[in-house]
Amino acid sequence: MNRRLSSGWLSAVVVIFAMAAVACGSTSSTGGSTSKGTVTVAGFNFPESSILAELYGQALQHDGYTANYKLNLGTRKVVAPALQSGQIDIYPGYAASELEYFNQGKGEATGDPAATTAKLNTYLQSINAVALTPSAAFDGNAYAVTSATAAKYNLKNLSDLTPIAGQLVFGAGPECPTYKFCLPGLKSVYGLNFKQTLTLDTDGPATRAAFKNGSIQVGLVFSSDADLKQLGLVVLVDDKNMIAADNIVPVVRQSIATDEVKRVLNNVDAHLTTADLVTMNGQVELLHQDADAVAQAYLQQHNFFA
Amino acid sequence: MSVLGSVIQWMADPAQWQGPDGIPTRLGEHLHLSIESVVIGAVIALPLGIALGHFGRFGNLAINVSNVGRAVPSFGILVIAFQAFGLGDGPIILALTALAIPPMVTNSYVALREVDPDVKDAARGMGYRELRQVLRIELPLAVPLIMAGVRTSAVQVVATATVAALVAGGGLGRYIVDGLARSDYPRLLAGALLVALLALATELLLAGVQRLLVPRGIRLKEAPVNRVITVKTA
Amino acid sequence: MASRVFLDIVDPWVNWGWLSTHVPYVLAAVQEHVTLTAIAVVAGFAISLPFGVVAHRWTRLRFPILTAFGIFYTIPSIAMFALLIPYTGLGGVTAEIPLIGYNVLVLVRNVMVGLDSVPAEVLDAADGMGYRPLARLFRIELPLALPAIFAGLRVATVSTIGIVTITAVIGLGGLGQLILRGLIESFHTPLVVATVLSIVLALVADLGLAGAQRFAVPWARPA
Repeated sequence: MNRRLSSGWLSAVVVIFAMAAVACGSTSSTGGSTSKGTVTVAGFNFPESSILAELYGQALQHDGYTANYKLNLGTRKVVAPALQSGQIDIYPGYAASELEYFNQGKGEATGDPAATTAKLNTYLQSINAVALTPSAAFDGNAYAVTSATAAKYNLKNLSDLTPIAGQLVFGAGPECPTYKFCLPGLKSVYGLNFKQTLTLDTDGPATRAAFKNGSIQVGLVFSSDADLKQLGLVVLVDDKNMIAADNIVPVVRQSIATDEVKRVLNNVDAHLTTADLVTMNGQVELLHQDADAVAQAYLQQHNFFA
Repeated sequence: MSVLGSVIQWMADPAQWQGPDGIPTRLGEHLHLSIESVVIGAVIALPLGIALGHFGRFGNLAINVSNVGRAVPSFGILVIAFQAFGLGDGPIILALTALAIPPMVTNSYVALREVDPDVKDAARGMGYRELRQVLRIELPLAVPLIMAGVRTSAVQVVATATVAALVAGGGLGRYIVDGLARSDYPRLLAGALLVALLALATELLLAGVQRLLVPRGIRLKEAPVNRVITVKTA
Repeated sequence: MASRVFLDIVDPWVNWGWLSTHVPYVLAAVQEHVTLTAIAVVAGFAISLPFGVVAHRWTRLRFPILTAFGIFYTIPSIAMFALLIPYTGLGGVTAEIPLIGYNVLVLVRNVMVGLDSVPAEVLDAADGMGYRPLARLFRIELPLALPAIFAGLRVATVSTIGIVTITAVIGLGGLGQLILRGLIESFHTPLVVATVLSIVLALVADLGLAGAQRFAVPWARPA
C-alpha cells in the first residue's frame, strides 16, 4: 500500500468521524418554527403496531405536529413504562390488554370496548395518561392449531382442547405465562394444562417455525393476522368468552392530549375497521411494504390528507 | 441493597431450580450450545491456523479470515441461519461457531510463526520429520498462544450464546430476554449474573487447562506471551 | 405433515427492487450505526487513556483496573441494555454506556501494553534531554505506544460495529433495526443487506484505522 492510498484512508476516517460528529450535533428532527409541537409515537414489536403508530403519527404530522417514532420498541412491559416516564407520548394500545396491564391482572376487562376503556382510564389517570375512544377495529389474542391437528382431534372450539391439552405442546411469547388472557386465562377459564409450554415469540417467526416443524401444536396468534389461512392455521373459537375487548385505542400522555390531538386520533380510529387491519398487516407482513408507506396510502385513500 | 436482595431471593426460590425453565436446565442448554460451538470451531480453526503457521504460507489469509470474522455481526448471522434452517439448536450453533473460529485461526497461526526458527533448525538437524517436528517441538512451544485463542473464543461464545433467546433458543439468555419482556428485573439480573459467572468460570478453567498443557520449561514465558496477545489478535 | 400444509413463500435473499427503492432508509440506518460506533470508540478511548497511563505507572493498580473492566466485559450486552432502561431511558445513553465500557477494557490494556513496551534506554535518553514527566509522556511515550494503541482501536471499532446491531432490542441499532425487521417479518432482504453492510462497515473502518496508523506511525509498519 503506498503512501497516497493510506492518506486517502485517513481522510476517509476523518470524514466518517466528522459525519458522526455532525449527526450527534442534531439530536432529533426539528420540525421548524411552524410545528404545533413534537410528539413521540411508539409501537410494540410487531408490524401491526408499527402501522398503527404510523397512522397516528402521520395524521398528527398532517395536522401540523412533528412526529418522532420509536417503533418495534418491545412488549407492553417496555412500552408502557416508557410512556409513564415521558420518554414516549403516544402508543397504539389494545383496550382490554392495556386495562389488565395497568390493573395488574385483576380481570376487569370485558367484551365491551367502551366500558373496558372507561375502566382503563381510571387507572391511567394516576400516571397522567388517557386512553381515547376505542376503535371498532379489533385485534385480540387468538389460539390456533394447524389444520392437521384440528382434523386429527376434531377441534373447533378452545374448550375442545380441555381433554387433550396434556398431550399437546403450547407456544407463545415470553410475556404469556404472566399475562391474564394468555396462559393464566387458558388455565383458569378452559382448564388447559399443556404437556409443555415453549417460550417463542409473540406471534412472530419463531411461532410460525415451531408450527411448521411440529414442535408446538397450539400457539398464540393475533386475530387480525393476514397470513393465518395461507399458513394452514385454524383459530379456535373462544367459546367461553375469555378473550376480552382488545379494540385499538391510543394511549396518550395527558400533557399532550389536547382537544386537537384527541380529535385527530379519534378521527383515525373512527374510520379504522378490523378488515383494514388485516389488509394492512398483509401488505407489511406478506408483501414487505413499509409500515409508513402502508399507513400513508391508507390515510390518503381515506381522504385524511385532503 | 434491595436489587441484589431481589436477585438472591429469586435464585434462592426452589422453583427456579427445577423444570424446563429451571437454572439447571438453562445452564445445561447454555453449556451444550457453547461447548458444541467451540469444539466444532476448534476442529476447523486449529488445524487450519497451525498448518498456515507452520508452512508460513497464506499468512494474509489467516489474518483476513480473522478480520472478516470479527466483523461479522453475530445477531445478523443468527437471524440468517434461523431463517435458512428454522427453529432449533443448529442455526444457533452455526452462528456461534462462526464467532469462535477467527480468534483460534489467528492465534494458532501467530503461535506457530512465533516459534524460534533456530529451534526448528535444530529439530530438523536432529532428524525430526515434518509432522513429528510440528507435534513434538512446535506445538508445545505454541500452546500458550493457541490456548489464549481458545480462551478468547470460548468466553466470547459463552457471552454471545445469550442472543440465542432472541430466536426462541434456550440457554441462560432466556432469563434475560424473558426478564425484559415481563419487566421481571430479578430474573433479568440473575440471567446476566449467571452468564457473567459462567464466562468467568470458562476463563479460569481454560487458564488451568493451559497451565497443564504448557511444558514446564517454557512456563516462565507465559506472562509476557499473554500480554502480547492483546496486540497480536488485533 | 406440516410441510405440506404450509405454503412456503419464496422470498429471495436479496430483493433488488425493494433495495433500490429503500436506499435512503438503509443509509439512515448506516448513519445511525456509524454515529453510535464513533461515539463509543472515541469516548471509550478518552476514558481509557488516563486509566492506561495509571495502570502503566502504578503496577499495583493494574490488577484492580483490569479486573473491574474485565468483569464489566463478561456481562452480556442485551442484559446491560435492558438493565439500563429504567435509569437512562431508551435513547443513545443506554446504548453507549455498555458500548463504551466494553471498549475501555480493550483500550486500557493496549495503552498499558504500548507504554510498557517503550524501551528503558529511550526513557533514559528523554530524561537526559531534560523532558519533564508530562512532556515525556506526550512527546515520547505515547507516540511510541501508538502501534499498540492503534491495534486496540481496530479491535474496539470492529467489535463495536457488531455489538451495535444488538441495540435494536432497545429501539436503536442502526443496521440492527433492519436485522430485527428481517426477523419479525421473515423478510430476507433487510436482514442480508444489513449483515453485509455491517461487515463492510467494519472492514472499511479497520482498513481506515490501519491506514491512519501507517500515516501516524511511519517508523513501525505493522506486519
